[in-house]
Amino acid sequence: MILELSGIWKIFRLGTEAVEALCGVDLALEEGEFVTVIGSNGAGKSTLLNVIAGTCRPNRGKVRIGGRDVTKWPAHRRARWIGRVFQDPLRGTAAHMTLAENLALALKKGRRGLSLLLTPARKRYLRKLLEPLGMELERRLGERVGHLSGGERQAVTVLMATLARPKLLLLDEHTAALDPANAEKVLEITERLVGESRITTLMVTHRMDQALSLGNRLIMMHKGRIRLDLEAEEKSRLGVGDLVDLFRRLGVTDDALLLANNGVDKT
Amino acid sequence: MSLFLPAVEQGLIYGLMALGVYISFRVLAFPDLSVDGTFPLGAAVAATLIISGWDPFLASLVAAGAGMVAGAFTGILSTKFRIQGLLAGVLTMIMLYSINLRVMGRPNLPLLGRPSALSTAVEALGLPRTWGLVVVAALLVLGIKLILDLFFHTELGSAMRATGDNPHMVQAFGVNPETMVILGLALANGLVALSGALVAQYSGFADVGMGVGTIVAGLASVIVGEMILRPRGVFWATVAVLLGSSLYRGAILVALRYGSVLGFTASDLKLLTALVVLGALMAPAIRARLRGEEA
Repeated sequence: MILELSGIWKIFRLGTEAVEALCGVDLALEEGEFVTVIGSNGAGKSTLLNVIAGTCRPNRGKVRIGGRDVTKWPAHRRARWIGRVFQDPLRGTAAHMTLAENLALALKKGRRGLSLLLTPARKRYLRKLLEPLGMELERRLGERVGHLSGGERQAVTVLMATLARPKLLLLDEHTAALDPANAEKVLEITERLVGESRITTLMVTHRMDQALSLGNRLIMMHKGRIRLDLEAEEKSRLGVGDLVDLFRRLGVTDDALLLANNGVDKT
Repeated sequence: MSLFLPAVEQGLIYGLMALGVYISFRVLAFPDLSVDGTFPLGAAVAATLIISGWDPFLASLVAAGAGMVAGAFTGILSTKFRIQGLLAGVLTMIMLYSINLRVMGRPNLPLLGRPSALSTAVEALGLPRTWGLVVVAALLVLGIKLILDLFFHTELGSAMRATGDNPHMVQAFGVNPETMVILGLALANGLVALSGALVAQYSGFADVGMGVGTIVAGLASVIVGEMILRPRGVFWATVAVLLGSSLYRGAILVALRYGSVLGFTASDLKLLTALVVLGALMAPAIRARLRGEEA
């Protein structure tokens, strides 16, 4: 088992009000699974990823990665095994550093020593990694990442997140902030990189068509609980309409989510 | 012309302090005010040790070490105990005021007639007194600058730069941003204290009040250098800092010598310096307004 969550509770206190973000979530991921996560706003999808990554500590429950209990580990220590891409393309890269420097920082996880970050051999290697993206970024290694477009930055972030061969890749609506063409491109790159390295992946999305067409397992969250967990076979038989019906039957009346998947995009 | 050599000498020696401010403000994006305490700390430690018979080089090194400890303390306050960066620096600075008085035993220690690290080196190299000091100071400070440049291109140094740029990102790649801030502030304040130690030896005394406004002087050097060179990359950024520092010291020497003509006295210096920094900080907003954009 690559990832095992058992009995995860997370309650945020907002003033006098307590918000239950996760209510006893159990989830186990086998090696090589590509799971898409869908759910209404405030369903707890991002909190779930935060709990796994270690940027948020659960009130109760255990997080195991590769069989090891990492519940109390800080985020930077778990990062050895986890790659993560956020919705905001600005969050995954250091804008004032060059493309080469960003990629090289992602190459090595864990302890940083006093050897040079960029050697000629490493630059050649990075150039090779960038070529298959088809964005001609291999010619721009010396440029600051801040000069790249949102789509380019997100493509680079996906590459960086998978570079160190993590056990687990967390994608948090990572194409939601991009225009359709770039979103498509970044998604294509994601699929290829995940497919090549067979990294176990957890991808949050608000688009039901994406949740259905990508990956081999689908999870639906609602009000802090996993309400639906479909294996590849069941998933392949469903269409967006069926999924919307399932949502309604579970009592999800989040119009934003349902509307977004009837052609009116909320973003 | 007679002001040129002293301006460069002082620009270099104070330049180490400006490099420290560059590291905390620019590299780490941490507004560290501890420098107002670590600059006189370096002076106090070095002066006390030299008076008790220590070798001035060793005394300066110990002074730098003391600065590093103080910088790390500010870093720990802000990261491990989540005290706001500005406040953490102010607390360290205030504590150091008392500590510096303890170290020296009194508010002012004269060093006249005592050996100084830089002038000892000038004699050892057999250089003339007129321009020997500039050469030795340049060798030392440029050497430190180059080591810094190299450090910021290592894996560790790059992780430190990335921390100031995007702490989320470095955390996701297995770097503890808190460690980077603590290390970075130690490095920055080590340089500031070393600068204080050398300034005490250069000017012949250590004084508990000599740190007031260090941060503003350091920022002025950093900003002036950036405005002139518009550097890209660490190498030119540190060149800019040292250039800014020399220009700033030159401006002060000119103001001290000719300022009386305009009615300025030495005590107006801090006000003038702060106005220079203020002008530089306000410039972007003013420019935007002149162009008719929202500031």
